[in-house]
Amino acid sequence: MKKHHFKALFILTLTALICYFSARDFLSMHQEEAIYPSSQLTAKKRLSDYFPGLKNSPGDSTVYIFEGQKKGGTLLVLGGTHPNEPAGFITAVLLVENLEVEQGRIIILPRANNSGFMHTDPQEGNPQKYSFETAGGSRWFRYGSRLTNPIHQWPDPVLYVNPAGQKLSGIESRNLNRSYPGRKHGYLTERIAYGIMRLIHIEKIDMAVDLHEAAPEYPVINAIVFHEKSAELAAIALMTLQMEGVDIRLEASPPNLRGLSHREWGDFAETHAILLETASTSHGRLKGKPSASLIIEGKDKNYQKAAKLGRLYIPFSEEGIPLKRRVSRHLASLNALVSALHELYPDLAILFHNIPSSTEIEQAGIGAFLRSPK
Amino acid sequence: MIQIIYHIFVFYLTLHLIGFIMREKKISDQLSGMLVLIMFLLRLFLIK
Repeated sequence: MKKHHFKALFILTLTALICYFSARDFLSMHQEEAIYPSSQLTAKKRLSDYFPGLKNSPGDSTVYIFEGQKKGGTLLVLGGTHPNEPAGFITAVLLVENLEVEQGRIIILPRANNSGFMHTDPQEGNPQKYSFETAGGSRWFRYGSRLTNPIHQWPDPVLYVNPAGQKLSGIESRNLNRSYPGRKHGYLTERIAYGIMRLIHIEKIDMAVDLHEAAPEYPVINAIVFHEKSAELAAIALMTLQMEGVDIRLEASPPNLRGLSHREWGDFAETHAILLETASTSHGRLKGKPSASLIIEGKDKNYQKAAKLGRLYIPFSEEGIPLKRRVSRHLASLNALVSALHELYPDLAILFHNIPSSTEIEQAGIGAFLRSPK
Repeated sequence: MIQIIYHIFVFYLTLHLIGFIMREKKISDQLSGMLVLIMFLLRLFLIK
């Protein structure tokens, strides 16, 4: 062996080491956080049980079903349509881990776009995880991207014509909330949307709620977005929330904005379609350094400055908008919507317990209502 | 089928890169080959 062969062997060993550590880091993004359902869980299914086209695909995810003793309505709660909007996902997890249903059924899909949880947005510098302290130790949760992972769906078309016929930028082909009512043989994101539509049809969902977050500079924020069939229901819920001191507004789903959950669920299924928005600084354009603390505490100096300049659609102080406040807002809105459904349709009553109140979450934090890691 | 052909192609290029690193005498050329090889190996084994 000559001298350059030894150098080559050293370089190949170095290559193997770099590949090993890079691969380990890369594969950790595919690891799913643990969710421990409450003892009242009735059944656990997969989205592929409703649409087998998703079986063994990264778009498949767990569906949690809670059924009460008495008959009533059926509520579907979706978290993680956009995995970079943590309040929706954590609200769904809190429900799964605490819920006790007395009447009716509640179906929860915490990771609606499972593939979006397996990567973060390039050049954003977002953390991959954030965590909470529970009574028995720390629990971590994935922070993902708004879009399906490009390693699962690639390449993007130049122009995307979604299943509802709307022309959008190519990148939107990986946005679950532009892909409804889905396509059976379409892109992965369209197949996930199709699976969710199948779930709504098969389980005869009476009210479907999609949990989201918006950047403070975005006009549709702290809002209930409703399909026109659900206008009365949303208005009653709004009044309840305003009486409780929750500052929230109503936004009608525009009929010409197609492919979104609040539009297509209402058009293509016999369900009350609702989308909820809270305010999150962690995926806003004006934010400073991204970090797990920004996700949880929601404090950001740039947003304080923007608020002083009148550039935001919500008040923003140095206190920030912590995740616990955003989650409690989602929970309060769900409560108000369920009450409104009961008021309008007494046969569709849904009664549930053991969900922490806004005051409890504000005082004890989210970790106090998550189960200890096993 | 396209995926299998693609993987065989990447594998073929990977073998060539290893051969290139073994043949080259200048360490700067070997290091350049290493940078490309890392990407090829990660692509070959991680993305299905």
